[in-house]
Amino acid sequence: MAEHITFSRRGAFAGLALPGRFGQAEGPAGLTVAVRTTVAIAQVVARPGRTDEVSSAVAAAMGLTLPAPLRVSAAGPVVAAWTGPGRWLVMQDEAGSGPYPAGSFVGRVAEACRGAASVTDQTDAQGVLRLSGPRTRDVLAKGLALDLHPRAFRAGMAASTLCGMVEVTLWQTDDTPTYDVAVMRGYAGSFWHWLGESAAEYGLVVAPQDDARAGAG
Amino acid sequence: MRIPCPHCGERGHEEFLYLGDAGVRRPDGMAEAKAGEPASRPWMDYVYLRPNPAGVHRELWQHVHGCRAWLVVTRDTRTHAISGAEDARTVALARDGAPA
Ligand SMILES: [Zn+2]
Repeated sequence: MAEHITFSRRGAFAGLALPGRFGQAEGPAGLTVAVRTTVAIAQVVARPGRTDEVSSAVAAAMGLTLPAPLRVSAAGPVVAAWTGPGRWLVMQDEAGSGPYPAGSFVGRVAEACRGAASVTDQTDAQGVLRLSGPRTRDVLAKGLALDLHPRAFRAGMAASTLCGMVEVTLWQTDDTPTYDVAVMRGYAGSFWHWLGESAAEYGLVVAPQDDARAGAG
Repeated sequence: MRIPCPHCGERGHEEFLYLGDAGVRRPDGMAEAKAGEPASRPWMDYVYLRPNPAGVHRELWQHVHGCRAWLVVTRDTRTHAISGAEDARTVALARDGAPA
Protein backbone atom coordinates (compact mmCIF):
# COMPACT_ATOMS: atom_id res chain seq x y z
CA MET A 1 0.00 0.00 0.00
CA ALA A 2 1.37 3.39 -0.96
CA GLU A 3 2.41 5.57 1.90
CA HIS A 4 0.51 8.80 2.20
CA ILE A 5 2.85 11.77 2.04
CA THR A 6 2.01 15.21 3.29
CA PHE A 7 4.17 18.27 2.73
CA SER A 8 4.69 21.04 5.20
CA ARG A 9 6.41 24.34 4.74
CA ARG A 10 9.94 24.61 6.01
CA GLY A 11 11.86 27.89 5.93
CA ALA A 12 15.23 28.04 4.19
CA PHE A 13 17.02 28.55 7.52
CA ALA A 14 14.96 26.02 9.53
CA GLY A 15 17.28 23.86 11.61
CA LEU A 16 20.18 26.22 10.91
CA ALA A 17 19.27 29.47 12.63
CA LEU A 18 19.00 28.18 16.19
CA PRO A 19 18.28 31.00 18.65
CA GLY A 20 20.97 31.96 21.14
CA ARG A 21 24.31 33.67 21.55
CA PHE A 22 27.32 32.33 19.67
CA GLY A 23 31.03 33.09 19.33
CA GLN A 24 32.49 35.79 21.57
CA ALA A 25 30.44 35.61 24.78
CA GLU A 26 31.59 38.87 26.43
CA GLY A 27 30.09 42.32 25.89
CA PRO A 28 27.37 43.41 23.51
CA ALA A 29 26.92 41.19 20.45
CA GLY A 30 28.49 42.58 17.27
CA LEU A 31 25.78 41.08 15.05
CA THR A 32 22.13 40.26 15.55
CA VAL A 33 20.44 38.01 12.99
CA ALA A 34 16.70 37.62 12.59
CA VAL A 35 15.23 35.24 10.03
CA ARG A 36 12.40 36.91 8.15
CA THR A 37 10.12 33.89 7.81
CA THR A 38 6.97 35.73 6.78
CA VAL A 39 8.03 37.53 3.61
CA ALA A 40 6.10 36.77 0.42
CA ILE A 41 8.42 37.28 -2.55
CA ALA A 42 7.52 37.84 -6.20
CA GLN A 43 10.22 38.02 -8.83
CA VAL A 44 9.24 40.40 -11.62
CA VAL A 45 11.10 40.26 -14.93
CA ALA A 46 9.89 42.67 -17.60
CA ARG A 47 9.47 41.23 -21.09
CA PRO A 48 11.87 42.72 -23.67
CA GLY A 49 11.30 46.43 -24.18
CA ARG A 50 8.42 46.59 -21.67
CA THR A 51 10.19 47.81 -18.52
CA ASP A 52 8.43 51.20 -18.50
CA GLU A 53 5.07 49.51 -19.08
CA VAL A 54 5.66 47.23 -16.05
CA SER A 55 6.64 50.21 -13.90
CA SER A 56 3.53 52.19 -14.74
CA ALA A 57 1.23 49.16 -14.40
CA VAL A 58 2.60 48.34 -10.93
CA ALA A 59 2.41 52.00 -9.89
CA ALA A 60 -1.22 52.22 -11.03
CA ALA A 61 -2.37 48.92 -9.48
CA MET A 62 -0.31 48.83 -6.27
CA GLY A 63 0.80 52.41 -5.65
CA LEU A 64 4.39 51.16 -5.72
CA THR A 65 7.11 52.91 -7.71
CA LEU A 66 9.50 50.15 -8.84
CA PRO A 67 13.00 51.30 -7.91
CA ALA A 68 15.76 52.57 -10.18
CA PRO A 69 18.96 50.51 -10.55
CA LEU A 70 20.71 49.68 -7.22
CA ARG A 71 17.78 50.99 -5.19
CA VAL A 72 14.86 49.78 -3.09
CA SER A 73 11.45 51.40 -2.86
CA ALA A 74 8.48 50.88 -0.58
CA ALA A 75 4.74 51.47 -0.44
CA GLY A 76 3.81 50.79 3.17
CA PRO A 77 4.85 47.21 4.02
CA VAL A 78 5.44 46.34 0.35
CA VAL A 79 9.11 46.62 -0.59
CA ALA A 80 10.76 46.25 -4.00
CA ALA A 81 14.48 45.73 -4.62
CA TRP A 82 16.14 46.19 -8.01
CA THR A 83 18.07 43.05 -9.06
CA GLY A 84 18.90 43.83 -12.70
CA PRO A 85 17.67 45.70 -15.79
CA GLY A 86 13.88 45.22 -15.81
CA ARG A 87 14.10 42.82 -12.83
CA TRP A 88 12.91 43.22 -9.25
CA LEU A 89 12.07 41.31 -6.11
CA VAL A 90 8.73 42.60 -4.83
CA MET A 91 7.95 41.61 -1.24
CA GLN A 92 5.26 41.85 1.40
CA ASP A 93 5.80 40.95 5.05
CA GLU A 94 2.70 38.88 5.75
CA ALA A 95 3.11 39.17 9.52
CA GLY A 96 2.32 42.88 9.41
CA SER A 97 -0.77 44.66 8.21
CA GLY A 98 0.02 44.34 4.50
CA PRO A 99 -2.63 45.49 2.04
CA TYR A 100 -2.92 42.03 0.43
CA PRO A 101 -4.25 38.96 2.29
CA ALA A 102 -1.59 36.39 3.21
CA GLY A 103 -1.04 33.94 0.37
CA SER A 104 -2.45 36.24 -2.31
CA PHE A 105 0.46 38.62 -2.74
CA VAL A 106 2.37 37.05 -5.65
CA GLY A 107 -0.86 36.61 -7.61
CA ARG A 108 -1.69 40.27 -7.06
CA VAL A 109 1.72 41.32 -8.35
CA ALA A 110 1.24 39.14 -11.45
CA GLU A 111 -2.19 40.69 -12.01
CA ALA A 112 -0.72 44.17 -11.62
CA CYS A 113 1.89 43.52 -14.34
CA ARG A 114 -0.81 42.72 -16.92
CA GLY A 115 1.34 40.29 -18.92
CA ALA A 116 4.18 42.78 -19.43
CA ALA A 117 6.42 40.80 -17.07
CA SER A 118 7.12 37.24 -16.01
CA VAL A 119 6.16 36.98 -12.35
CA THR A 120 7.33 33.96 -10.35
CA ASP A 121 6.74 33.05 -6.73
CA GLN A 122 10.08 33.03 -4.89
CA THR A 123 8.58 32.95 -1.38
CA ASP A 124 9.92 29.49 -0.59
CA ALA A 125 12.89 29.73 -2.96
CA GLN A 126 14.68 32.45 -1.01
CA GLY A 127 15.52 32.88 2.65
CA VAL A 128 15.73 36.42 3.99
CA LEU A 129 17.92 37.40 6.94
CA ARG A 130 17.86 40.74 8.74
CA LEU A 131 21.32 41.74 9.96
CA SER A 132 21.92 44.48 12.50
CA GLY A 133 24.36 45.41 15.24
CA PRO A 134 27.49 47.52 15.61
CA ARG A 135 29.83 45.13 13.74
CA THR A 136 27.49 44.24 10.85
CA ARG A 137 29.70 45.94 8.25
CA ASP A 138 32.81 44.18 9.60
CA VAL A 139 31.06 40.80 9.45
CA LEU A 140 29.94 41.36 5.85
CA ALA A 141 33.27 42.85 4.74
CA LYS A 142 34.98 39.49 5.14
CA GLY A 143 32.93 37.99 2.32
CA LEU A 144 31.60 40.93 0.36
CA ALA A 145 33.55 42.87 -2.28
CA LEU A 146 31.10 45.77 -2.08
CA ASP A 147 31.94 49.00 -0.24
CA LEU A 148 29.30 49.40 2.50
CA HIS A 149 30.78 52.63 3.87
CA PRO A 150 28.00 55.24 4.08
CA ARG A 151 29.73 57.34 1.41
CA ALA A 152 29.16 54.46 -1.04
CA PHE A 153 26.12 52.52 0.20
CA ARG A 154 23.21 53.92 2.19
CA ALA A 155 19.69 53.07 3.36
CA GLY A 156 17.51 52.57 0.29
CA MET A 157 20.28 50.99 -1.79
CA ALA A 158 20.33 47.39 -3.05
CA ALA A 159 22.86 45.13 -4.75
CA SER A 160 22.90 41.65 -6.21
CA THR A 161 26.38 40.30 -5.66
CA LEU A 162 28.43 37.53 -4.03
CA CYS A 163 28.77 37.27 -0.24
CA GLY A 164 30.81 34.43 1.24
CA MET A 165 30.95 33.13 -2.36
CA VAL A 166 27.15 32.80 -2.35
CA GLU A 167 24.89 34.82 -4.62
CA VAL A 168 22.79 37.26 -2.57
CA THR A 169 20.53 40.25 -3.00
CA LEU A 170 21.25 42.69 -0.22
CA TRP A 171 19.59 45.98 0.69
CA GLN A 172 20.05 48.47 3.49
CA THR A 173 16.89 49.26 5.44
CA ASP A 174 18.19 51.93 7.85
CA ASP A 175 21.31 53.81 8.93
CA THR A 176 21.97 51.98 12.23
CA PRO A 177 22.83 50.09 9.86
CA THR A 178 20.40 47.25 9.17
CA TYR A 179 20.65 45.08 6.06
CA ASP A 180 18.29 42.49 4.62
CA VAL A 181 19.97 39.66 2.71
CA ALA A 182 18.05 37.29 0.42
CA VAL A 183 19.77 33.96 -0.27
CA MET A 184 18.59 31.14 -2.53
CA ARG A 185 17.49 28.34 -0.24
CA GLY A 186 19.92 25.78 -1.66
CA TYR A 187 22.74 28.01 -0.44
CA ALA A 188 21.19 28.84 2.94
CA GLY A 189 23.34 26.30 4.82
CA SER A 190 26.55 27.43 3.17
CA PHE A 191 25.76 31.11 3.76
CA TRP A 192 24.71 30.49 7.35
CA HIS A 193 27.97 28.74 8.19
CA TRP A 194 30.00 31.51 6.56
CA LEU A 195 28.02 34.15 8.48
CA GLY A 196 28.54 32.36 11.82
CA GLU A 197 32.29 32.02 11.23
CA SER A 198 32.59 35.64 10.18
CA ALA A 199 30.60 36.95 13.16
CA ALA A 200 32.12 34.67 15.83
CA GLU A 201 34.89 37.06 16.90
CA TYR A 202 32.34 39.86 17.55
CA GLY A 203 29.63 37.71 19.19
CA LEU A 204 26.44 36.76 17.39
CA VAL A 205 22.85 36.74 18.63
CA VAL A 206 20.30 34.74 16.65
CA ALA A 207 16.75 35.90 17.34
CA PRO A 208 14.08 33.21 17.77
CA GLN A 209 11.97 32.42 14.70
CA ASP A 210 8.34 32.91 15.59
CA ASP A 211 6.52 31.64 12.54
CA ALA A 212 5.24 28.17 11.66
CA ARG A 213 7.22 28.32 8.45
CA ALA A 214 10.46 28.30 10.45
CA GLY A 215 9.87 24.57 10.75
CA ALA A 216 10.81 22.20 13.51
CA GLY A 217 14.29 22.08 15.04
CA MET B 1 40.45 42.36 -12.38
CA ARG B 2 37.38 44.57 -11.95
CA ILE B 3 34.69 45.07 -14.58
CA PRO B 4 32.64 48.28 -14.75
CA CYS B 5 29.12 46.90 -15.27
CA PRO B 6 27.01 49.63 -16.90
CA HIS B 7 24.11 48.62 -14.61
CA CYS B 8 25.82 47.84 -11.27
CA GLY B 9 29.08 49.77 -11.29
CA GLU B 10 32.53 48.27 -10.80
CA ARG B 11 32.51 44.64 -9.60
CA GLY B 12 35.09 41.87 -9.16
CA HIS B 13 35.51 39.53 -12.14
CA GLU B 14 34.43 36.56 -9.97
CA GLU B 15 30.85 37.83 -10.39
CA PHE B 16 31.11 37.39 -14.16
CA LEU B 17 31.03 34.52 -16.65
CA TYR B 18 33.28 34.72 -19.73
CA LEU B 19 31.96 33.69 -23.13
CA GLY B 20 34.57 34.93 -25.63
CA ASP B 21 34.91 37.06 -28.76
CA ALA B 22 32.02 39.52 -29.09
CA GLY B 23 32.77 40.08 -32.79
CA VAL B 24 31.54 36.76 -34.13
CA ARG B 25 28.14 36.78 -35.80
CA ARG B 26 25.95 33.71 -36.21
CA PRO B 27 25.55 32.97 -39.96
CA ASP B 28 22.11 33.05 -41.50
CA GLY B 29 21.58 29.35 -42.20
CA MET B 30 23.81 28.00 -45.02
CA ALA B 31 23.07 30.97 -47.26
CA GLU B 32 26.20 33.03 -46.63
CA ALA B 33 28.93 30.95 -48.29
CA LYS B 34 30.85 32.73 -51.04
CA ALA B 35 30.97 31.25 -54.55
CA GLY B 36 33.39 28.35 -54.74
CA GLU B 37 33.58 27.62 -51.02
CA PRO B 38 31.70 24.89 -49.13
CA ALA B 39 28.27 25.90 -47.79
CA SER B 40 29.47 25.03 -44.29
CA ARG B 41 32.44 27.44 -44.44
CA PRO B 42 30.71 30.40 -42.66
CA TRP B 43 29.75 27.98 -39.87
CA MET B 44 33.32 26.65 -39.64
CA ASP B 45 34.52 30.23 -39.18
CA TYR B 46 31.76 31.06 -36.70
CA VAL B 47 32.33 28.02 -34.51
CA TYR B 48 36.13 27.64 -34.65
CA LEU B 49 38.02 30.64 -36.00
CA ARG B 50 39.10 33.45 -33.66
CA PRO B 51 41.70 36.17 -34.28
CA ASN B 52 43.17 35.82 -30.73
CA PRO B 53 44.79 39.28 -30.74
CA ALA B 54 47.61 40.38 -28.43
CA GLY B 55 46.03 43.69 -27.52
CA VAL B 56 42.58 45.21 -27.45
CA HIS B 57 39.80 42.60 -27.57
CA ARG B 58 36.03 43.00 -27.43
CA GLU B 59 34.49 40.07 -25.59
CA LEU B 60 31.24 38.85 -24.04
CA TRP B 61 30.89 38.57 -20.28
CA GLN B 62 27.71 37.92 -18.29
CA HIS B 63 27.22 39.58 -14.90
CA VAL B 64 25.84 36.24 -13.74
CA HIS B 65 26.17 36.80 -9.97
CA GLY B 66 24.84 40.36 -10.26
CA CYS B 67 22.29 41.87 -12.63
CA ARG B 68 22.42 38.89 -15.09
CA ALA B 69 23.04 41.24 -18.05
CA TRP B 70 25.31 40.24 -20.93
CA LEU B 71 28.04 42.80 -21.56
CA VAL B 72 30.57 43.59 -24.28
CA VAL B 73 33.80 44.28 -22.41
CA THR B 74 36.83 45.87 -24.08
CA ARG B 75 39.99 44.34 -22.56
CA ASP B 76 43.68 44.44 -23.43
CA THR B 77 44.72 40.78 -23.50
CA ARG B 78 48.34 41.70 -22.61
CA THR B 79 47.60 43.71 -19.46
CA HIS B 80 43.96 42.84 -18.55
CA ALA B 81 43.31 46.59 -18.55
CA ILE B 82 39.59 47.10 -19.18
CA SER B 83 38.71 50.24 -21.11
CA GLY B 84 34.93 49.83 -21.31
CA ALA B 85 31.84 47.70 -20.78
CA GLU B 86 28.57 48.12 -22.67
CA ASP B 87 25.22 46.39 -22.51
CA ALA B 88 25.43 43.57 -25.11
CA ARG B 89 21.78 43.95 -26.05
CA THR B 90 22.35 47.62 -26.93
CA VAL B 91 25.45 46.70 -28.95
CA ALA B 92 23.57 43.95 -30.85
CA LEU B 93 20.60 46.20 -31.60
CA ALA B 94 22.94 48.91 -32.92
CA ARG B 95 24.69 46.35 -35.15
CA ASP B 96 21.77 44.26 -36.41
CA GLY B 97 18.69 46.36 -35.70
CA ALA B 98 15.65 45.14 -33.81
CA PRO B 99 14.58 41.52 -34.47
CA ALA B 100 11.84 41.23 -37.10
ZN1 LIG C 1 25.59 44.21 -13.49
